Amino acid sequence: MNRREYLVALAGLSAMPWTGAMATAPATLHVFGAPPPSDRVRRVFAAGAPAAVLTHVLAPDKLLGWPWPLSAEARDLLAPAARGLPMLGRLAGRGSTLPLERLVALKPDLIVDAGTVDATYLSTAERVWRQTGIPYVLVDGRLADSARQLRETGLLLGVAARGERLARYAEEALSACGDRAARRRPGVYLARAADGLETPLAGSVNGECIEAACAVNVARGPGGGLARVSREQVLAWSPDAIVSQYPEFHALARQDAFWRRLPAVRDGRLFLAPSLPFGWLDGPPGVNRLLGVRWLASRLHDLSARTDWVDFARDFHALFYGHAPTREELMRLPGLT
Amino acid sequence: MSVLEARGLAIGYRHRPVGEGIDLALGAGEILCLLGPNGGGKTTLFRTLLGILPPLAGTAHVLGRPLDDWPRAALATRLAYVPQSHAGLFAFTVEEVVLMGRTARLPRFATPSAHDRAVARECLERLGVGHLAARIYTEISGGERQLALIARALAQEAIVLILDEPTASLDFGNQLRVLKEIDALKARGFSILMSTHQPEHALRVADRIALLKAGRIVGQGPRALATAEALAALYGADASEVARSLPQLARA
Amino acid sequence: MKLAGQGTALRLAVLSAPVFAALLAAFAFGPYPLSPAEALAALWAGPSAESDAATVVWQLRLPRILAGLLVGAALSAAGAAYQGMFRNPLVSPDILGVSAGAGLGAALAIYFGLSLAAVQALAFAGGLLAVAAVVFVAGQVRRHDPVLVLVLAGVAVGTLFAAGISLVKVLADPSVQLPAITFWLLGGLNAVASGDLGLAAPLIAVGLLPMLLLRWRINLLSLSDEEAAALGVNVVRLRGTLIVSATLITAAAVSVAGIVGWVGLVVPHAARLLVGPEFSRLLPASLLLGGGFLVAADTLARSAAAIELPLGILTALVGAPAFLWLLARTGRGGA
Repeated sequence: MNRREYLVALAGLSAMPWTGAMATAPATLHVFGAPPPSDRVRRVFAAGAPAAVLTHVLAPDKLLGWPWPLSAEARDLLAPAARGLPMLGRLAGRGSTLPLERLVALKPDLIVDAGTVDATYLSTAERVWRQTGIPYVLVDGRLADSARQLRETGLLLGVAARGERLARYAEEALSACGDRAARRRPGVYLARAADGLETPLAGSVNGECIEAACAVNVARGPGGGLARVSREQVLAWSPDAIVSQYPEFHALARQDAFWRRLPAVRDGRLFLAPSLPFGWLDGPPGVNRLLGVRWLASRLHDLSARTDWVDFARDFHALFYGHAPTREELMRLPGLT
Repeated sequence: MSVLEARGLAIGYRHRPVGEGIDLALGAGEILCLLGPNGGGKTTLFRTLLGILPPLAGTAHVLGRPLDDWPRAALATRLAYVPQSHAGLFAFTVEEVVLMGRTARLPRFATPSAHDRAVARECLERLGVGHLAARIYTEISGGERQLALIARALAQEAIVLILDEPTASLDFGNQLRVLKEIDALKARGFSILMSTHQPEHALRVADRIALLKAGRIVGQGPRALATAEALAALYGADASEVARSLPQLARA
Repeated sequence: MKLAGQGTALRLAVLSAPVFAALLAAFAFGPYPLSPAEALAALWAGPSAESDAATVVWQLRLPRILAGLLVGAALSAAGAAYQGMFRNPLVSPDILGVSAGAGLGAALAIYFGLSLAAVQALAFAGGLLAVAAVVFVAGQVRRHDPVLVLVLAGVAVGTLFAAGISLVKVLADPSVQLPAITFWLLGGLNAVASGDLGLAAPLIAVGLLPMLLLRWRINLLSLSDEEAAALGVNVVRLRGTLIVSATLITAAAVSVAGIVGWVGLVVPHAARLLVGPEFSRLLPASLLLGGGFLVAADTLARSAAAIELPLGILTALVGAPAFLWLLARTGRGGA
């Protein structure tokens, strides 16, 4: 089945009530080759980290392995069945760490990859399909398209109902900002690296969580990806809040004379987000960020709310990762202690 | 008393002996000229006599002391080496080049003092090239460079000089200039061991000559040693050709 | 014991003027919206003033300027020493592989997620290790010209370590570690806090000391080994001392600023054009010019755009054309 026939089949599924919304949306999936019918998809290879997270939340029993070495602490927070999955390596054209022969030996039914799709990725996917004969599916879209991604990939993997449920959560988390921060969107600086001077620029995929939380990324500059900045520049930007997933930076910011002077730190708007098992804000830039978006939005806007973040995280883990860690386990995470 | 002496010297590198059984003696205030074909071991011999290359056997003495006993800096204050004039890489002034000769007399962390500069300038003056002091070494002629290098050796205040082909690649006028200075140096009391590829130069300045072939001294004695036959045997040439080129040679 | 002759003192004084101007400019300009007049006023007012301007000028710009001076001076001095020692005006301090070694140390530290201090320490250690390997390998080969052997060993070891860096980059997590490694390798002073200099500055001072003390004898290394020995210098020991000295200061500089190329190559050249090759003049000129150059480049790096332009890129943009111009020029006269 080639791509066109597949799309026709998808359109045919629009008779189903829950796909009503999807049928009018543009295609999110770029398919090379003929994936097996969704009820016969058993073995799925995730080509990159966002795809691995996507597959894991939808159909954890079908994921063959992780494309990066998941630490022991991360594994402990996942469902027992998923803890033992091996690290296989990633497929990324020249940057692949998995030889194609080994990929073929794994006998996957499907390769799934997720992220922004451009001509390079498309041609790489096509090449892998031609060489190995394994159908390759690229799931297009950014954080804002999470709901659509979850629905369509759910259909693909034969877990449509689950995909729908997760998509609803996504829609709620990413609901339009509207009255929230109607007056002014706060400026947020997302600090990466131990010294906090690496940051995703406004518009980059690594900083999407900021916009999704109805805030503005203060880091503006040429290029659209990651950049190094100086402390003077951060002072000039004067963010209303600083958020990071790096405990080392968080500790530094709390005791270094320069960082403490910044209004964000002085007024207690320095936030540390956990990065296990998957980053709340980034790393990987996948649907794992839905948790962080809600958390960040709440901390930025609902200042009076006294949310129990541990319970919040537990619910998300239970829904998405299929396993609710104990309160003690979660409280060991940096940012939640 | 010889100022520079080699006895049964075997020279060469660790896996490549170049010469052996070399007996050489340079007397005080005399000029000894080394003649011989390319590859005969001249450079190796000089390196050994300067203490740069260890001898494979035999001994060398400088001013009566074994070469091994001489610390490097002390040796440089007595024995100086004048290489062939080279183009030079960096734009040092001629005065700076000559000042380098003072290094052996400087304490380890010192820079040249006013006195050192005065000595350097004087050495240049005595060789008739004092006007070159501020010129850049790489911009002067080959002959002037050779004189600068001789001045450098003089700045060491050494009394024994080893000159390696001092007239090589010089034009005729410059050759004469250098030979004249070598004569003058002898008059001032220096002892000189030099090598040359031009027997006529040896005949002009040398008190004694030595013939070095394939790492062995095949003859050593007064100028008269250089007969056409001896040179023909040394260089592997025809004796009559040698006599034609060098009519001033004595016939055996 | 004079450091320089009359004409040179004047020349060095003249050289100080643009360096001083670069320093003033570095205090006056930057991404924080502060007019040059305000910045200079804050500078005058002293570090204890409470204003934002004082913070910017004293806490943020001053450490970077000090680091720029230190790193620029260190790299230039090492370059000047090596150019004389290797008898080649086209040599840079990286020739014995110190940058590749430092890069590998830093890449490994970032890959294993170590602290910032550890990254610096491993970079420093990596630089020393690379040069130690080069010297060891060169010492095993006895036959040829020792200087040439050092250069070739440096190329080989440097390439080996560079391959190691590439391997680490392949294995690194592309979303987290790889950017960090890439940014480190491109060089920059934006992460410098005053604490970093506390270790690097004494190391660089210690490394410069032998160069300073031996500044006359170093001139003799530009002669052939035979000539230098005949002039009374222990060539092997002097060369060894110089390599240790230059490696120490280069490794310290690279551990603070990452890999900043061209400074060690072009600045000594320019200094040589101004004051001549004699090392007791060349050294202070290189130190001065190198420090000023890097401070100027760093001012540009942080002011030209909102993001930091890596220092290595800026020095290459200035250095490479300057180098080509110098190359064309030296065809005419001496180096």
